[in-house]
Amino acid sequence: MGNSSPTRRCFLQSAVTGTALFPGIMQQLLAAEGDPFAQREPHHTPRAKNVIFLFMTGGVSHVDTFDPKPNLVRDHGKEIELDHPETKARDDYRHLYLKRPQWSFRPYGECGTEVSELFPHVGSCMDDIALIRSMHTGHSNHYNATLGMHTGSYNVARPSIGSWVSYGLGTMNQNLPGFVVIAPRQTYAGTQVYASDFLPGAHQGTLVVPGVEPVANVKPVTTRDRQMLELAAIRRFNAAHLRARGTDPQLSARLKSFETAFGMQMAVPDAFDFSKESAATFASYGLQPGQTAGFGWQCLAARRLIERGVRFVELIDTGSSNNWDAHGDMMTHVSLAKNVDQPIAALLRDLKQRGMLEDTLVVWTSEFGRTPFNNSADAKGREHHPWAFSSWMAGAGIKPGIVHGATDEHGLRAVENPVHMHDFHATILHLMGFDHERLTYRHAGRDYRLTDVAGDVVSELIS
Amino acid sequence: MMFSPRCVSLRYTDVMSIVRVAIGFLTGVAMCGWLVTPACGQDDAFFEKQVRPILVTHCYKCHAGANSRGGLRLDTRAGWQKGGDTGPAVVPGKPDESLLMQAVRYHDTDLQMPPPDAGGRLTDAEIDALEKWVRLGAPDPRESVESIGGMSVEAAKSWWAFQPLPKARGRASAAAIDRFLDEKLRQQGIASVAQADKRTLIRRATFDLTGLPPTPKDVETFVADGSAAAFATLVDRLLASPQYGVRYGRHWLDVVRYADTAGENSDRPLPHAWRYRNWVIDSFNRDVPFDEFTKLQLAGDILRAQEPQDRKAEGIVATGYLAVARRFGHDIDHNLHLLYEDVIDNLGKSFLGLTTGCARCHDHKYDPISAEDYYAIAGIFDSTRFAFPGCEPRSQPYDLVPLIPAMEVDAITKAAKRSGSKPVIPVAYAVAEKEPHDMQLQQGGDPERRGDMVPRRWLSVFGGQPLPSNAGSGRRELAGWISQHPLFARVVVNRVWQWHFGTGLVATSNDFGSRGAAPSHPELLDWLASHFVASGHRVKTLHRLIMNTKAYQRSSGNALDPNNRWLARFSRRRLSAEEIRDSLLFVSGQLDQEPGEAHPFPKEETWKFTQHAPFNAVYDTNKRSVYLMVQRQRRHPFLALFDGADPNSSTGRRQVTTVPTQALYFLNDPFFHKQANGLAERLERTASTWGLRAPSASDSPVSGGEEPTNTRDPRDRENEDNPAWGSEAPSTEAWLTAAFRVVFQRVPAANEVKSAQQFFDKYPGSQADKQRAYVRVLLASSEFIYVE
Repeated sequence: MGNSSPTRRCFLQSAVTGTALFPGIMQQLLAAEGDPFAQREPHHTPRAKNVIFLFMTGGVSHVDTFDPKPNLVRDHGKEIELDHPETKARDDYRHLYLKRPQWSFRPYGECGTEVSELFPHVGSCMDDIALIRSMHTGHSNHYNATLGMHTGSYNVARPSIGSWVSYGLGTMNQNLPGFVVIAPRQTYAGTQVYASDFLPGAHQGTLVVPGVEPVANVKPVTTRDRQMLELAAIRRFNAAHLRARGTDPQLSARLKSFETAFGMQMAVPDAFDFSKESAATFASYGLQPGQTAGFGWQCLAARRLIERGVRFVELIDTGSSNNWDAHGDMMTHVSLAKNVDQPIAALLRDLKQRGMLEDTLVVWTSEFGRTPFNNSADAKGREHHPWAFSSWMAGAGIKPGIVHGATDEHGLRAVENPVHMHDFHATILHLMGFDHERLTYRHAGRDYRLTDVAGDVVSELIS
Repeated sequence: MMFSPRCVSLRYTDVMSIVRVAIGFLTGVAMCGWLVTPACGQDDAFFEKQVRPILVTHCYKCHAGANSRGGLRLDTRAGWQKGGDTGPAVVPGKPDESLLMQAVRYHDTDLQMPPPDAGGRLTDAEIDALEKWVRLGAPDPRESVESIGGMSVEAAKSWWAFQPLPKARGRASAAAIDRFLDEKLRQQGIASVAQADKRTLIRRATFDLTGLPPTPKDVETFVADGSAAAFATLVDRLLASPQYGVRYGRHWLDVVRYADTAGENSDRPLPHAWRYRNWVIDSFNRDVPFDEFTKLQLAGDILRAQEPQDRKAEGIVATGYLAVARRFGHDIDHNLHLLYEDVIDNLGKSFLGLTTGCARCHDHKYDPISAEDYYAIAGIFDSTRFAFPGCEPRSQPYDLVPLIPAMEVDAITKAAKRSGSKPVIPVAYAVAEKEPHDMQLQQGGDPERRGDMVPRRWLSVFGGQPLPSNAGSGRRELAGWISQHPLFARVVVNRVWQWHFGTGLVATSNDFGSRGAAPSHPELLDWLASHFVASGHRVKTLHRLIMNTKAYQRSSGNALDPNNRWLARFSRRRLSAEEIRDSLLFVSGQLDQEPGEAHPFPKEETWKFTQHAPFNAVYDTNKRSVYLMVQRQRRHPFLALFDGADPNSSTGRRQVTTVPTQALYFLNDPFFHKQANGLAERLERTASTWGLRAPSASDSPVSGGEEPTNTRDPRDRENEDNPAWGSEAPSTEAWLTAAFRVVFQRVPAANEVKSAQQFFDKYPGSQADKQRAYVRVLLASSEFIYVE
């Protein structure tokens, strides 16, 4: 595991000895309290060092993927009465009818957990996965539910979960950001889903867009000695500028950003250079040689970033359009599942084979599920459904091969051991070594936390 | 026509009449939950006269519609009968047992309505009226809620943003604006900070109005002007600069999601869209009244049809606003419903602050816009011919609109045919009229599921006026309805306010509906809107009013209001992407301030773009960034890095992110290095003429970024435009002073000179290497890319 803080220390010290200009500032920098990325003491022994957060944009239908409902097939076309947030205000949704899933399920592995034919590869990993079939959230709009799943807040922007983890634990590699988001396009609520909001700006997610040069301008154009002199001078200007203005999170973030940028010049090209990966690895992720985009590329990049000590890597599969939001036609789930199924399975196997799954938590979720009903049983699509959906976790500290919670016979409501979005967050923080009620930040006179005023750790998921 | 003339003239606030009007002319159209109030008896009359106004004025804000507080709705009889979370609100005949009465009486400190911070206790007369009403048995004729989209008619009627504007009284003045702001500060108990110094002010105002830094000479002139009107003079000078239109035109291009490609699957170039972009910039420079500016964008071709050719051509170019709408799919003519949605969504947000696009598939969930309303407007655009940008199956563009008379087009075409060359006809990417017709509603937004025919008309919540019988597409009438509505004036002045202060009085500048933010200063917003209308919709007049306030001229120091909602200080801001790039070019002496025109796209006849190999290019230019070619499918790398506008949907307000990849730009980007080298060369040539004097005791001590007052000795009035070449290389002090004046608009402090000297002593290489390196440091500093 690449703990590279000596490298950084070398940079700072050589900047000091190399210039002997501003030793005071540099010494301050070396002090842990001046460094937003310094590793902090967790509240208890962490089970996970890193998180890979796989976010499926648009709302994946649970009853078509991970939550088999034979009675939904049996009762197809039966009229039901519901006070549902997505349909109650709509005149053409006065009558609601159950709608059967379009894909069949089969059991996988020793655990025998049933998964639909949309996810055969992930299905083959069920012995490593703790599946939650009783997820629920508090909002039925994409924007709000997506923001909620990332920040614990449906309306007002708050720090994202990756920012909280980066803030809480710092990074293990000072030359890479603590929180990296790899996304071909922006999802709902845009950059807010990986923003640090009132947490120090250094903890916001660094966006990597798959492509030939995922992070621009990482190749240094002056010699190392010269660049360090210039960086020391920039820091002197910016530190004095900030000092004269009291506090300003944006200015602090800017000060810090140059330091991170310096290290990124070496670390980033290395992380995204797949040339030393084997042909077998490429094939397992479904990658062609030289390919620089696609979800397989994102998954392999995630493994390489985790190897290099990045705390939190989020992979977003698609953008705020052309995603899982299948109002019009459930068949769009086929290509979206195909896009992610094999790469996710490859990632899990790769991590396991390298012994990395022991301290890496892999999380898979969407912002909500999709309605097991529609205003006509023949409707091709499904609507937003915040009452129930499926998510899963695997790896560090997770009890493998289990199913937690259940929905009712039609997949309408989470009835057995319901897991709210806040509980989900509390559990992730717990595995990272934090009591979610104590990981707080004072802002505008109040101690804020990721889980707002709710959230219970789901201990049944933990091994 | 089935409506009476009296009804047409009804004001949009007279909603009960609107219902009847709508019933009148929308016969045959599904009315979506509208019910007419039945004839009233005596008790009902008491309700209508005494009770309903109280409920509308004091209760509906929280207790109407699907999202009512505590689940209690007071906009229907069933609402109070069912009651909220704590049970029925009214027990007919028994005031003392009615929760409503307990709440309004304010006897119980736990149950006080309206809450003390939302209007406070009703008057005794109002409470007596409610008590009498309950005692009478609570007669309530409101059988069912009359709703439009997601709002009851009554809630829509009382919605703050739709109200008529107050009458503009007296002459508008900056002092009047300050009185509104100071009153709120007083109520909040927040003290405002001191006024900013002159160097800060000229930097702030120059970036604000032109997107560029002031020159050292500009700073000197302003600092030397001790008159009371110095700042007003500066604002006038900046407003007269052609660079003003570049800056404010860019703001508008954000809102209308301007792009130079179509956005369909192959993202085809739009070689003629630049005419619209330049027209926007030019219109701001000419201070075209904003209602006229708006009408031309929606219907310039119709409004100017009978005018001389140059004015006619301008009207056509202006409708580029409609043509630059995003295109969708593979064979894009099959997805016109998505084009119309993009048009309707954008015009709703841009001009009315309403999210109208939602109503394509269903009635708006929260605002008073029904699916019928949507298709009433969509019919107008279905009667409009949009220039066709080409697409994968049909490669070549067509329906571009000629800007010269038909006879000249014929002559050019014939001459070209004779000579065997391609005719070159000046055209615009614009729209034209088509055979006018109404459109059928598309159920669930599905073009295959046709519903009833919807007559083209104005939004029902605003009166639902139909088109006159001799109307064309209806764009002309739509342009009139929009630009005369008070909501339009509110939305426009709020945008201008946001462009100056960073946040609007309504923070959600694209959403004045029920999901938007409430105005921080509602009276001020109305005052500004009414004076804006009275001024003839003059944006430059509005700039002068706003910028001459004390509030605009405050320092950015700390005040007890973290989000600066009450404007006790000025909000520090990072330069926009365009300002960063333009300032780099400006200080390096490389900026070409002449307008850009067409992009160097490949010739249309060579286009073979597909979804697998879409158009993709980045064109370099030293012109201002507004002239960069902006693609829809691939963000311009620089603009994306520094939070440029999203060209796919309206950007009401840009986000500001601070990330290490931006720092990498300041370390390694070739363009950045080129500009730094340019500035170093420029300083080498001219430093001895504009930075001679080393800092002396008369300079205010400056450490780091504290605001100095520029106290340059006025005798050093050398002019950078009139260089007197020095014979010797400048000292470090002189060089640094020159550099600081260009980059920071101030002179360096003694410790800064010392630091620079130490840097020069340490840094390896030639003197030129050292200077280039230090220029990079200055240009990477926060002081350069932040405005106080």
